[in-house]
Amino acid sequence: MNARAVAAWSATCIFIVLSTTNPAYKAAVLAAALIALAAGVGLRRLRGVLIGVLLIAAFAVALNFVSAHLGTTVLFSIPNQVPALGGPYTLEALAFGATGGLTVAAAILAAAPFSTLLASHEVMDALPAALSRTGAAIAASLNLVPSVAASFVQVTEAQRLRGWRPRGPRSWSEIVVPVVLTSVEGSIQLAESMEARGFGSGPRTAVKPAKLQPSDWLLIGASAAALGLFAISQASGWAAPWYAYPTLTLPSMDARPLIACLLLLAPVLVWRSRR
Amino acid sequence: MAVATLSRLTYTYPGATQPALREVCLELEDGLTVVAGPSGGGKSTLLRVFNGLVPHFHGGRISGSASVVGRDVIATPTRHLARSVGFVFQDPELQTVYNVVDREVAFGLENIGLPQREMAERIDEALDAVGVEHLRGRTVRTLSGGERQRLALTSALAMRPRLVVLDEPTSQLDEEGAAMVLTSVLALIARGGHAVISEHRLDRLVKQAHGLVMVGGGRVESIDPKAWRRPQAPSRPPRRFALGAEAWSLRGASAGFDGSLVLDGVDLAGCAGEVVALSGPNGGGKTTLLRLLAGGLAPVAGTVERRPGRIAYLPQNPTALLHRPTVRDEVSLTLERTEEGGLPEAILDELGLASVALRNPRDLSSGERQRAALAAVLPGMPRVVLLDEPTRGMDVGARDALISLVARLRDQGAAIVLATHDVELRAALADRVVHVGQGKVVEAAPEAMRA
Repeated sequence: MNARAVAAWSATCIFIVLSTTNPAYKAAVLAAALIALAAGVGLRRLRGVLIGVLLIAAFAVALNFVSAHLGTTVLFSIPNQVPALGGPYTLEALAFGATGGLTVAAAILAAAPFSTLLASHEVMDALPAALSRTGAAIAASLNLVPSVAASFVQVTEAQRLRGWRPRGPRSWSEIVVPVVLTSVEGSIQLAESMEARGFGSGPRTAVKPAKLQPSDWLLIGASAAALGLFAISQASGWAAPWYAYPTLTLPSMDARPLIACLLLLAPVLVWRSRR
Repeated sequence: MAVATLSRLTYTYPGATQPALREVCLELEDGLTVVAGPSGGGKSTLLRVFNGLVPHFHGGRISGSASVVGRDVIATPTRHLARSVGFVFQDPELQTVYNVVDREVAFGLENIGLPQREMAERIDEALDAVGVEHLRGRTVRTLSGGERQRLALTSALAMRPRLVVLDEPTSQLDEEGAAMVLTSVLALIARGGHAVISEHRLDRLVKQAHGLVMVGGGRVESIDPKAWRRPQAPSRPPRRFALGAEAWSLRGASAGFDGSLVLDGVDLAGCAGEVVALSGPNGGGKTTLLRLLAGGLAPVAGTVERRPGRIAYLPQNPTALLHRPTVRDEVSLTLERTEEGGLPEAILDELGLASVALRNPRDLSSGERQRAALAAVLPGMPRVVLLDEPTRGMDVGARDALISLVARLRDQGAAIVLATHDVELRAALADRVVHVGQGKVVEAAPEAMRA
């Protein structure tokens, strides 16, 4: 799998969800991204990502519902005297917040293949030669991330048994300081190891230059077609915009932009081999 | 011609007042050279001179001269020495850059700009030389510690260096993993390669070594490997009291992560004043069992019971504990928290740490850090003592001090559980040895304690 092909698909998904206000197309992109990822990674491995996406989306919905007191369909009201929360709570604000949540969720899932589907070296291989050293350094630091999480668990456990208890923000320094120091030491050791293996000694080469396979071309082609069709739909008014205020209406839909979104299901044909 | 020649080399780390190496004069002959000596004596610093990490990576002041495989180390940056000198570090987890085996081996070759075809040849050659052809395509995080260290050796050999330097490569490995690495090193020597290795397990290596270098207090001395005598095994401290009542127990206890069980229905118990040693391979469940007993991990089934009182727990990674400005402060913190009274000096003396009591624990060598962590968890009167690989990186003297300390705690009535690969430590202390592996525990036969 070529990371450049994945990048083309991700960029198209993100372009569509950010360029339209219509929740129907955003939902279609979200569904396509979810189905594609499930085909490539499997729902079980996606569990953590999905929980994170749900939490972030829920926050976006709640934030708009609580802060935007616009719209005509009032669900309930809180007296204006209540600071920050006072005012009418409307169906329109809820729907508009839900559209924001859809946007965030679709964008995160569109970018998720870079962490869930591709190995760090596959991402680095796709970078231009001029960025190869930066890429190697990023790959190395990505490999340190799991050890930081493990270090946090170890430190917390060890300090608890020495009598540490969480008593206010200051007490956390006994956890944070060793975790940070351990991470810094880990980074220094890794840098030492990279130096000892000639990192930075001159222009780098690649053991396996990233070449596009037919399946990658299929993905790039489908993404380009989706991008083109949706852009034309936008320009010609087929992908009608939608706005929740002042009164909630159903979003209108057209087959052409919807087909563009369905083209984003192309990874289902390509990513099955990664499970 | 010698592989390396050091002449009147003195090196001081940045900010240090005393040199880490003093007036070192050394000639490394072809073949295998073993570097030995007490923790904190300067072994790692000496090894880092051979590929220029000292002084180019670490900075500091250096004087004298150092020539390795015909190159002036002081004038040549490490990254340019990488083609001539390979290096394998102590920690198997902190030296991999990529997450697939073949790519990891290729990392150094990419750095020196080799053409693609030559890289493929060298990767095949190095994987074959270390005997890890079967690991090709594997994800690095799925490898055992021994496999990871062999991967690090493979990566070093792929550069076709004239000299390979290994810094305590087996200190974090189980017996099988350590044997894997040492066998690969000896095979390299048999094929005409040159290597320098620092190790605490000298018995296997010294017989094959062409040189033995003792390092201590920054001084370096070459001795004839044939003159080396295996230190006497630690004696077993006599028990002063009979075993007490049951102090901890696991009944049908299961524990694991991400839906897979590491321990499955374990039944085990220990008494006050008893030392139970856990043996078994890396990843077999020893640490999980200790964490269950410590209360850091809840069982998914079964029960864990402990008698009231303080639990002292030394985690596998001792740096998890250390965050105070001095070693003495680390001990004081535990004494204050436990309100058991006493002065830090008692345990610092007992573990031979008086001379480094006012130093930052993170500035110490790995063996000294291990002792500092032990001092931080073991002062006062803990009722249950859980030690995870307590002799990691320790020299013989430090291990003897640990044995005396554990025996004292045992005689004060503490229930002790230690997970260790160190057979001599088990023989000196264990009342029972329990093998932990594949989710189960099996009580070892008494003769296995001394095996």
